[in-house]
Amino acid sequence: MMETAWIIPLFPLLSFLILLLFGRRLKEASAFVGILLTLASLVYSILVLFERFTAPTYKSEAAWLNIGDLHLTAGFEVNQLNALMLVIVSLVSCLVHTYSKGYMHGDERIPVFYAYLGLFTFAMQGLVLSPNLLQTYIFWELVGVGSFLLIGFYFYKEEAKAAAKKAFIMTRIGDVGLLIGMILLFWQTNSFEYDEIFKAVREGAISQGWITLTALLIFVGAVGKSGQFPLHTWLPDAMEGPTPVSALIHAATMVAAGVYLVAALFPLFAASKTALLTIAIIGAFTAIFAASIGLVQTDIKRVLAYSTVSQLGYMMLALGSAGYVAGVFHLMTHAFFKALLFLAAGSVIHAVHTQNIEEMGGLWKKLRLTGPLFLIGTLAISGVPLLSGFFSKDEILAAAWEGGHPILFLLAVIAAFFTAFYMFRLFFMVFTGEARSEMKHVHESPGVMTLPMIVLGVLAVISGYVNTPWFGTFLGDWLTKGNDSLGHSHVEGPGWIMIVATLVSLAGIFLAWLIYGKKSLSRDWLSGRGGALHTILYNKYYIDEFYQLTIVSLTKGMSYFLRFIDLFLVEGIVKGVAGFVQGLGKTGSKVQNGQVQTYGAMAFVGLAVLVVIFALTGGYLK
Amino acid sequence: MSSIPASAFLALALILFCIGLYGALSKRNTVIVLISIELMLNAVNINLVTFSKYGIKPSITGQIFALFAITVAAAEAAVGLAILIALYRNRKTVNIDEMDTMKH
Amino acid sequence: MSLSSVLSILVFSPLLGVTVLAFMKNTQEKAIKIVGLLATLPALLLALACYFHYQAGKDLGDFSVKANWINFVGDKKYFHVAYELGLNGLSLIMVVLTAIIATLAAVASMHIKKEWKGYFMLFLLLETGMLGVFTSLNLILFFIFFEVTLVPMFFLIGKWGYFEKEKAAFSFLIYNGLGSAILLIVIMVLFAKTGTSNIHDLQQIVNAAKSPLSGSVKMGLLIALLIAFGVKLPIFPLHSWMLRVHVQAPPSIVMIHSGILLKIGAFGLIRFAMGIFPEQFKDVAGVLAFLGVINLLYGAFLAFIQKDFKMVLAYSSISHMGIVLIGIGALNATGIQGAIFQVVSHGLISALLFFLVGVFYERTDTSLIENLGGLAKGMPLAAGFLLAGAMASLGLPGMSGFVSEFMAFLGLFKDMPVLAAVGTIGIIMTAAYLLRAVLGMTFGQAHREFAGTMDLKGAEFVPVLTLMFLIVLIGVYPSVLSSPLKTALETIMLGLGG
Repeated sequence: MMETAWIIPLFPLLSFLILLLFGRRLKEASAFVGILLTLASLVYSILVLFERFTAPTYKSEAAWLNIGDLHLTAGFEVNQLNALMLVIVSLVSCLVHTYSKGYMHGDERIPVFYAYLGLFTFAMQGLVLSPNLLQTYIFWELVGVGSFLLIGFYFYKEEAKAAAKKAFIMTRIGDVGLLIGMILLFWQTNSFEYDEIFKAVREGAISQGWITLTALLIFVGAVGKSGQFPLHTWLPDAMEGPTPVSALIHAATMVAAGVYLVAALFPLFAASKTALLTIAIIGAFTAIFAASIGLVQTDIKRVLAYSTVSQLGYMMLALGSAGYVAGVFHLMTHAFFKALLFLAAGSVIHAVHTQNIEEMGGLWKKLRLTGPLFLIGTLAISGVPLLSGFFSKDEILAAAWEGGHPILFLLAVIAAFFTAFYMFRLFFMVFTGEARSEMKHVHESPGVMTLPMIVLGVLAVISGYVNTPWFGTFLGDWLTKGNDSLGHSHVEGPGWIMIVATLVSLAGIFLAWLIYGKKSLSRDWLSGRGGALHTILYNKYYIDEFYQLTIVSLTKGMSYFLRFIDLFLVEGIVKGVAGFVQGLGKTGSKVQNGQVQTYGAMAFVGLAVLVVIFALTGGYLK
Repeated sequence: MSSIPASAFLALALILFCIGLYGALSKRNTVIVLISIELMLNAVNINLVTFSKYGIKPSITGQIFALFAITVAAAEAAVGLAILIALYRNRKTVNIDEMDTMKH
Repeated sequence: MSLSSVLSILVFSPLLGVTVLAFMKNTQEKAIKIVGLLATLPALLLALACYFHYQAGKDLGDFSVKANWINFVGDKKYFHVAYELGLNGLSLIMVVLTAIIATLAAVASMHIKKEWKGYFMLFLLLETGMLGVFTSLNLILFFIFFEVTLVPMFFLIGKWGYFEKEKAAFSFLIYNGLGSAILLIVIMVLFAKTGTSNIHDLQQIVNAAKSPLSGSVKMGLLIALLIAFGVKLPIFPLHSWMLRVHVQAPPSIVMIHSGILLKIGAFGLIRFAMGIFPEQFKDVAGVLAFLGVINLLYGAFLAFIQKDFKMVLAYSSISHMGIVLIGIGALNATGIQGAIFQVVSHGLISALLFFLVGVFYERTDTSLIENLGGLAKGMPLAAGFLLAGAMASLGLPGMSGFVSEFMAFLGLFKDMPVLAAVGTIGIIMTAAYLLRAVLGMTFGQAHREFAGTMDLKGAEFVPVLTLMFLIVLIGVYPSVLSSPLKTALETIMLGLGG
């Protein structure tokens, strides 16, 4: 199975091509094409994962491009991380394909939607199978395009247009960092292959400075893709896309690609203390920064988006604290519960046709399935014991503590409190309280939408048990088997961390209940709406405005300045030369006034000049 | 006679030629322009005669050539004046500034 | 038919079409268009045959042809100018590209509204000129073909263009005339000093130990060559003519202009400047790379604020030619291969984009971004292809633009990492200006008056699909280009000293 793992991405690619060519004729039946083909790739991925449990890593490559003496290859590799990611991607993609059948029902562009989903899934699976940096970069960009196309799916909406553009350009800024890092690494090691790079790092063939520089540049790519500060602003805007897309791309898979990249290149990062520390700091800062914005947003999807940014920050913090297993573990559990939350949010939006949580309420009784599933997701992300998020978050906190940065640990704990608070704020505002009068026709989503949510709900509960301090750290042991550079399979943190984490999340839930559930505390007790703190948070620390004022205007200013140069300097010189020639011509034609005397005078001047030249050169022109 | 050096004759010719050139290029009256051209021709004649006497190989050829030049110049002056009179009849002027038909 | 006559037939086959057209009436619109299209096909078929011949492992030398042409006696020397055509890997690729784009541009010429006869006669003459430029092995022959491309272009722009066509045509003629005058001087000096104008002989003689040219003369000639081809490419600040041409010429002609004619500059730089003066070229390579980065950024920043989509594409061409310069300036196999890839890739992509511009203009009578908008509603296919073309242009992996851009930068990073890092800003800017323009045209609310516009139809699919196919083919399987280039590239690197 592993020898033919390259077939897995071809299923969604086939789906993309079929729908591109015949989509117009298939209409709604396109959904079946997409679902069946992703199901096939899911089955294949699971088989590969099971085989990988026993078999060693498999890698296969073929020549792709020859440049003189350089031979660039393309191929695929199935190692632990890849096999795990493959299943996560295929699973979430398959579920989202199924869910979209119900969510997108009635949209005339369903074939296009499924084609884009196929393209994205292909690229994402190709990304996780890549054995070298170049191929990673290729698929890295392709997932970006898939994301761009799906964000801009409702192309007639101005917001969607702007969001798609912003997502593409901001991630591209990161990608350029990755590109530079990768090329510099290439000229240091003469290879794009992960194995060769790690070998060079192990053997000390690259100097410490180069490792740090290239690692940081590659991390810039991860920052862009995973929406880390300061390149995070595109991710909340990306919520303009259809909700299943947000679940697949902007929660479970693509945004996790940054984390995956750092994990895949972990031996490189691990070789540089500076790089790891930078990752940890950016991760921790993003975690608390995004969580604080999430506290006050009123759009259900935006709250979830900021929560995603914050959780990705968590994963980065884990990796930066050398907690390889913790990062990957959280990546997995987060994929499940965040996809669940988005799909449940989609179900809510599908039912009430608004995204503003201020206009919702009392949906618990109407959405009998969505409500409990949303609650499961909320509990999991808040880190309530016995659910998946609890175990992975605990791992991260332990890793941060063991990493020796108490401040980062503290930030992570506060972020956990924020997370529990804003997630339950969301839950209480949507599902409890008074039902709105205009929401009488609200009804539960069809089975095709609830089924994927149930699957994810089950996973959100149980997926944590693959790696627990109580029953064994299967995931960690397996991930790090045969590779010392990835660090310990399990970080044995002090026992009190688990208690602190639990208390903090329960405190967050309790506070949310006091304010939004029981309403015994005023919503305005800390900072009223319109108050300074609220305004800053609500406007996301004015980062967008800041970028608009600085980078965008700087670029525009530069452009206008260059246009000025183009119009006046370049064109001016050209006009000057043309004017000079024209002037010369005009003077010449003035001499031609038809008067013999002028002609004679000119002939005489010419003669005189000739004589002078001859006199000076002695009669010979050389 | 032989005590006068060749340079004196040449200087005379040069002066005569320059006066002629100046007149030919700057005078408004066409008749004076024609006279100036005659001056230049005569300067050339002086040169010819000078070199027939003082040249490296003195010979009579130069003087004969000068005679030819005088003859031709006479003919030319006649033709020139005839054209000038024709022009004067047409245009009622001998002002050279107004004769710019070569421009067209 | 022996193989050695293939190239002559290839180059002059379009002239057959000119002859046939000469006997047709100007009113037979359909027949003229069909003849014009058919006349481009023999060259296309032969070019492809040459490509597969080479790919099958046979020698390109089979196609070389040489015949005595002009002889005269100069100062103690006998001068011969031979009629010599031949191919190497690089020129083979250029010939194939030319033949493909010429055929597709002939298809695109169906939008031409008047005087079809004259149009197609000039068009075919232009094709002969371009094919000749890439196949001639002799500098004088090269120059003649080079001039042959100028005259038809002048009339094609000046007669069938848009509002300011005359001005554009004149500025085209003046700039390129100056460029070719400088080129002529270089050729004449080389010819007079060495007694030959054959490119291979020149490479030998000029670089021999006892070269008839001193180092400083060679340097002077090289700089003159750089200016001559720099006008064509164009290198900043010699670019203003090509903006006008891009905007004013009819789209089918811009396909040729941007797709092939600009590439003569790059071809000349690699074949002549680098080939004949390798030693001196090393000294100016850094400057070229620097100019390349300037071109890249200058074009990108200016494209960002243009209102007319054609202007965006024009500045984008400047920007993309910067990548060619970057690759050449990198002076290693990676960079040069990247430059050649970029030449081909940009040829295909800009042909595609300009064809689509023509399609849009045909239906909406405007190419101003703000007057368009929401076209994805009424013509989803055309909009989709436009987006795909823009993606290819901004270097999306899986399409040809990425391979070339990547290789050029990979090459430059080897020796000039700081300059290259500055250049990568261009990658971001490219995405910014292309998305701004393309999304502005296709996304958003549809203009009411364009509600009923027609999507792509019939023959319009031929160029779009062909170009898209080639772009993706090169992007996914770059060996289609790199394997024929292998020997040519090795020769160049040998000249540069390894």
